[in-house]
Amino acid sequence: MAQKNSTPWVDYVIFGLTVFLVFCLIFESFIDLPSLVAWLGRWHPLILHFPIVLLLMAAVIGLLNQIVPKLLLTIATLSALVTAITGFFLGTESVPKGDLIFWHQWMGAGVAFLAVVWYWLSTNHLQQTYLVKGIQVVLILLVGLTGHYGGMITHGEDFLALPRSKKLEKIPEDPLIYEHIVYRVLDNNCIGCHNPNKKKGELLMTNINELLQGGESGPALVLGDPGNSELIRRLHLPMEDEEHMPPDGKKPLTEDEIQILERWIALGASDTLKLSHLDNSEPLAGMVKKMMDSGTENSWAKLPKVADSTLQNLASDYVTIKRIASNSQALSISVFLPPEYDPKNITDLKRIANNIVELDLSGIPLGEKEMELVALCKNLEWLEVDRTPITDMEFAKIIGLENLRVLKAYETGISDESVAVLKDFKGLKSLYVWETQISDQGLSELREALPSLHLDYGIDPELKTEFIEKDTIVDSIQ
Amino acid sequence: MCDHHDKLRSNNRDLQSIEKQWDRREFFKKTSLGIGAMALGSLLQSEKLWSAVNPVAGPIDSLNSFAKNKLGLPHHLPKAKRIVYLFQSGGPSQLDLFDYKPKLKDMFGQDLPDSIRAGQRLTGMSADQTAFPIAASTLNFKQYGESRAWVSDAMPYLSEVVDDLCFIKGMHTDAINHDPAITFFQTGSQQPGRPSIGSWISYGLGSDNDNLPTFISLVSKNGSGQPLYSRLWGNGFLPTEHQGVQFRSGKDPVLYLGDPENYDGNDRRQMLDYLKKLNGMAYDAFGDPEINARIAQYEMAYRMQTSVPEVTDTSDEPDYIFDMYGPDSRNPGTYAANCLMARKLLEKDVKFVQLYHQGWDQHGNCPGGVKYQSKNTDQGTAALIKDLKQRGMLEDTLVVWGGEFGRTVYSQGQLTETNYGRDHHPKAFTMFMAGAGVKPGFTYGETDDFGYNIIKDPVHTHDFQATLLHLFGIDHERLTFKHQGRRYRLTDVHGDVVKDILV
Ligand code: HEC
Repeated sequence: MAQKNSTPWVDYVIFGLTVFLVFCLIFESFIDLPSLVAWLGRWHPLILHFPIVLLLMAAVIGLLNQIVPKLLLTIATLSALVTAITGFFLGTESVPKGDLIFWHQWMGAGVAFLAVVWYWLSTNHLQQTYLVKGIQVVLILLVGLTGHYGGMITHGEDFLALPRSKKLEKIPEDPLIYEHIVYRVLDNNCIGCHNPNKKKGELLMTNINELLQGGESGPALVLGDPGNSELIRRLHLPMEDEEHMPPDGKKPLTEDEIQILERWIALGASDTLKLSHLDNSEPLAGMVKKMMDSGTENSWAKLPKVADSTLQNLASDYVTIKRIASNSQALSISVFLPPEYDPKNITDLKRIANNIVELDLSGIPLGEKEMELVALCKNLEWLEVDRTPITDMEFAKIIGLENLRVLKAYETGISDESVAVLKDFKGLKSLYVWETQISDQGLSELREALPSLHLDYGIDPELKTEFIEKDTIVDSIQ
Repeated sequence: MCDHHDKLRSNNRDLQSIEKQWDRREFFKKTSLGIGAMALGSLLQSEKLWSAVNPVAGPIDSLNSFAKNKLGLPHHLPKAKRIVYLFQSGGPSQLDLFDYKPKLKDMFGQDLPDSIRAGQRLTGMSADQTAFPIAASTLNFKQYGESRAWVSDAMPYLSEVVDDLCFIKGMHTDAINHDPAITFFQTGSQQPGRPSIGSWISYGLGSDNDNLPTFISLVSKNGSGQPLYSRLWGNGFLPTEHQGVQFRSGKDPVLYLGDPENYDGNDRRQMLDYLKKLNGMAYDAFGDPEINARIAQYEMAYRMQTSVPEVTDTSDEPDYIFDMYGPDSRNPGTYAANCLMARKLLEKDVKFVQLYHQGWDQHGNCPGGVKYQSKNTDQGTAALIKDLKQRGMLEDTLVVWGGEFGRTVYSQGQLTETNYGRDHHPKAFTMFMAGAGVKPGFTYGETDDFGYNIIKDPVHTHDFQATLLHLFGIDHERLTFKHQGRRYRLTDVHGDVVKDILV
């Protein structure tokens, strides 16, 4: 049976911590923590496991009409308070607080306060009342929610979202504006409610004819006139407007997405329009290209995870490893020539070969072994092997790197034999091959095979001699 | 990380008591590491324990350049990996170089209409002139390239590469005198004390090559005029290792790289290791971040002993490269030689190379002065762009050319058929960029017929800075540093990314 606490100091500690927590929450904006105290916050992710387990255990025991051991409840309450306080400290490090942290903080505080109330009730012999039962139920829910929000803070908001069945397909090189761009925007944001099963506002968006047909209030689009199109009007309404699309709670379209729809409608909402039909000055072209770029970022999302510690082991003064963006698994690596070069510096990168999208090996005395490593980097998009002693033999190793976009191979020993390898890089956009043995014929063969390739074979030899003559121009001005 | 003071112990009483304190701190650190490893893993950065709340201070570990970056940067996918900023100090005359105003020819000598000047403040140098006679440029302008960009004949070499350039004709700034204006361009504030753009980028993104400084500045020796101060490439309140390192403009850009006579350098590593321990002790005792900067710079200097001779050695450059940069390029320390050096540094992944060329302050003899300045810089600038282009480096390297302000359309001092001077003009001037993420062969913004006011697409200094950071994957509103109780950023509370010039 629960008794009046024989060790009153525990009550004081709990009372003290509660007051402290309330104080923290109220005076939050005035608090500037000394760094040692802020550091205590770093323990939050460790400590938080205790109240989750202990409180859930205590609550379940209570709900099963068993007596909750006093010691269990005491430790659970204490740990809930400590967790809330350390969590508060940790939260002060991220300014401004996002929504997630905001909710997590207040629910976490709620858990702690509820635990304290329960503790207080039980020290006053009120173990089995309905009030306590209620608290137990609410606690279980709140602990779950708080934990979930906390999880979203550390692991990302969609960590627990069900795996989405439809995979985002790569946007093709010369996309159809409607099918590959506009439809993607609608599919991501609107079709969930405007499909044959839901048909909100009698508007269907699953294909272009339905979209042109419109809904309840008539046509959704006025071809050539985005300003008068119902669909666009709704996108521009203030968020709190009832008619704003997508309705409240849903993520609104980005500025770019709205503009894509607008320009597409302005150009007549055709389903045959392609990117290559657009003028370079047409803003739609820029926005589509931007979307295609972010598409490559999406393709990086599928790369395997690499830990910072792995990178740390492989990096050295002469091997710089960077993530392409802070939270990306895609890596950019530059190798510099150390006083004593050992191919192992490069071949060791094998462990992370799949993650390498940019590799700069220029000026390194590369041999076969290193090129074999390069061949393993299946996701490579950017390769610099310029000013290296490689010849056709080494170069042949890297045949079939289909994601390669930029290749710098100037000042190397490759010759026409390598043209076959080059032709096979279907995605290649820029190639730098001056001061190689590739002949004019090889170059024209290459140009034929990859018509959109930007081929740089350096400064025209005629120009080179001209530079010297040009020096006289300036003198004549003076 | 911190096994270092076990062996070094003092027998001085006072020092021993300090050592005891260290031991206690050591204990905390170690336990925190031990237990913390269970759950906190990378969350726990024990160096934060004793330092100010400052994400990059703390014992420097040159090995983990990617982990150095605890700021969550870059914010988005960067277009630019490195930059060369060709600072034309003094305020180049846009009216005699790029901003062609044919109508001025008919207005030669007429007074600048008051409606145009609209009470705009002038410098003390021309404010008390009784007349403001319009001076059309005496230089000839032509259109070049597919982009039909206007360039005067002062810059024949640059006119060959206009299709790679993005001209911004609507630049404007707040300051009207040299030092505040340069300081404003470089640090976002007219008052000294803030970090330079290069320092911000070094702080935000770290180094791509641990063997060379992230931020290097070169001042050409063949320009002279308004003085430049090292604070222009200073770190301000950022940790000191982000300061720009100035290379000397002579034969030896960095002094004392070689070993002195009779010393083989074999035990230098050992010596530095001991020095690092001593400095580490001092850091533990005082927590002064400058000590860390010192440790880092010793290490950097050590590695620079091999890396610097490699980059500064131009002996393996073929002749046609020198010819392309012009005869000056064989004379170390000139603008052209610095351009070549800049390319070599960029090739080694130095992130921020800043050149300064003084002498663009044509208060008098403007046409001659502009020609003279151009003669010293035009070929180098154009060659650098060509050279970067053929190496595929324009794909991820940004080139910026510009001064701190422009020059007035009216003549300062006497106007004659062939000669005039021009005073400082912050309200409209021209800059250009090239490379990574910037539209090539493009002109943005427009000034009125007098080149005095911007009539289309103005770009303020802060907008330029925001755009520059944007190209590096940095949201200029989110790269901040807390100092003296508030968070600072390069663009202070201003700045919009100029989206229209981005590809
Ligand atoms: C959460 C469900 C939901 C989503 C998502 C959604 N809608 Fe709607 N939509 C509705 C509902 C409900 C109506 C009918 C009520 C009304 O007219 O406001 C409607 C009506 C419309 C109408 C008016 C149809 C008519 O003729 O009356 C248009 C146009 C529209 N939506 C466009 C969009 C667009 C564009 C998107 C994507 C950006 C979108 N909707 C996303 C629920 C949704």
